[in-house]
Amino acid sequence: MKYWMILKQSLKAIFANKGRSFLTVLGIIIGIGSVIALISMGNGVQASIDSQIKQLGTNTLTITAGGSRFSQATNQTSAKNSTQTAREGVVGTVSTLSENDLLSLSDTQKHPDLKYVDGAVSGTAIIDTTSGSLRVAVTGNSTSSFQISGMTVESGREYNQKDIDTKANVAVLGAQTYTDIYGTSDALGKEITIADAQYQVIGVLAHKDESGFQNYNEGIYIPYSAAFVSFKTSDFSAMRVESSNDKVVEAAKTDIVNTLLANHNITDPKLADFTVMSSKDLLSTVSSITSVLTSLLAGIAAISLVVGGIGIMNIMLVSVTERTREIGLRKAVGAKTSDILLQFIVEAIVLTLVGGISGIVLGYAIGLGATKVLGFTPIVTPRAILLAVGVSSAIGLVFGIYPAAKAARLNPIDALRYE
Amino acid sequence: MVRKDMKAISLKNITKIYKTGDENTVALDGIDLSIGKGEFVAIMGPSGSGKSSLMHIIGLLDTATKGEYCLDGQDVSKLSSAKQAEIRNTEIGFVFQQFNLLPRTTVLDNILLPTIYGNIENPDKKADQLAEEVGLGDKKHNKSNQLSGGQIQRVAVARALVMDPTIILADEPTGNLDSKTSVEIMHLFQEINKKGATVVLITHEEDIAKFASRIIHLRDGKIVEGK
Repeated sequence: MKYWMILKQSLKAIFANKGRSFLTVLGIIIGIGSVIALISMGNGVQASIDSQIKQLGTNTLTITAGGSRFSQATNQTSAKNSTQTAREGVVGTVSTLSENDLLSLSDTQKHPDLKYVDGAVSGTAIIDTTSGSLRVAVTGNSTSSFQISGMTVESGREYNQKDIDTKANVAVLGAQTYTDIYGTSDALGKEITIADAQYQVIGVLAHKDESGFQNYNEGIYIPYSAAFVSFKTSDFSAMRVESSNDKVVEAAKTDIVNTLLANHNITDPKLADFTVMSSKDLLSTVSSITSVLTSLLAGIAAISLVVGGIGIMNIMLVSVTERTREIGLRKAVGAKTSDILLQFIVEAIVLTLVGGISGIVLGYAIGLGATKVLGFTPIVTPRAILLAVGVSSAIGLVFGIYPAAKAARLNPIDALRYE
Repeated sequence: MVRKDMKAISLKNITKIYKTGDENTVALDGIDLSIGKGEFVAIMGPSGSGKSSLMHIIGLLDTATKGEYCLDGQDVSKLSSAKQAEIRNTEIGFVFQQFNLLPRTTVLDNILLPTIYGNIENPDKKADQLAEEVGLGDKKHNKSNQLSGGQIQRVAVARALVMDPTIILADEPTGNLDSKTSVEIMHLFQEINKKGATVVLITHEEDIAKFASRIIHLRDGKIVEGK
């Protein structure tokens, strides 16, 4: 009863000074609002990246040439025991994934968990189009690339194993690339020049929605064997493997590592000259980056919360001075020191809580607004809300205690006599 | 029904010394005073005579430097501030000259102020009834800044009565009022006194002091007449 009455007194005091209370709360609204907006946008970015990684397929494993930082540094010393001497030692340009690796992993008898295996060779070509020259990405792939990427041809045909075996100069165009080069006219059978070699267009891909990391609509796809010849290389820059289901991803990863280590004559896994990453690995790497960024941004926003808290303290101090005689009167009619303390603390906490809740709404609104501009959905988690409300009431308490104690300590007659 | 044999207030050798820097100012110099239950006492004196200091000590708003103070037979001079606040709430009703009411607050809410810190049954009904008694039945929901000086003092009187205290302390309650309104307020105090409450009034006006049944004169911190 008494506490309810004191709460009512606090609310009355807040409403008696609407303008000032609003300005005080504004600091907290902006502080909490920016924390919520940044956290929700951070979460939104993370979710968006997560879903894009999942679109790559949870079964997909990516093998990149070059080992971890550690193995790069130590490869030199292990070179004696390795047949790979010529290829190693140059950081960043290590190419160790050979056709042999592709063929050995493709053996479904030995590797039942690996459903599709694809090797990729990257290059570019400058193609003359109706609107001038255009640099287009050219990728040499195995036939399984079509299955892993989910690419389908709209007209013509995919290249097949025979094309790969014969190193045939045939090309399949991405939907956008086809339009860029030929407009609406027929492309099948036409010739294009890639790295000084003539390639015949045998197919055009159906349009496929972008997945953030990969845009299959732009690009030219050729058999990897032909790409080896045209780009004068014998190594894949990366390989992709799709496991037969998502339960065997880890087993598939171990299988790949062991096979490649054996192929490369490396006994110590720490010295691996390649890196195998599953979607899950990629996910956790990206997550750790985005969560660090989110924390950083939220930390910056938290500074404005502290500034808002100081604003509350300032206003409460002004309020205590202004209401000195009111405090004296309250004490004269029987308010204890603790009652006055409670009233002013409650006042500060109510101000910050109102600010905190409005801030959550504002932050969410900012996040929603950002969605329209940035193209992802902000996610407000209960944890973020709890954090914001907790922080704001803690600020109310911390910055409210000093003014409240100052008010409560006033001697009743000094307070009544105050001019 | 004045019963001088039962002491509402009993002061023995009350001394109050204010320290301002190196100088000591003696505001009250060994006051001995007894006020019986149901008495209506006026304390008079020129400014600086110590009458306000005396009232603050009687009202437990301040503590004496020396001396003994018994309220209703209980020694209250050594109580904790929380305990003193409780006594101020339940036993004493204050009416001040200035800053009597909470600003921007209705008559009823002002009357209810002491009930926040105490415990009485049905405070709303009591406040309503008191507003009627002091003649503010039609102004219950007016805010304090919409009231005249006389009305403000009526609200203050009603507030002083809401906890049913045994002692009403009034510090220059008519100081800001015209003579007609002053008389009305004093009649109010007389009525309260008739109902049994001990009333201690501080004033420097002879006309106002005449409403009391006993007048005590203070000068230089000492009682010079009316002990």
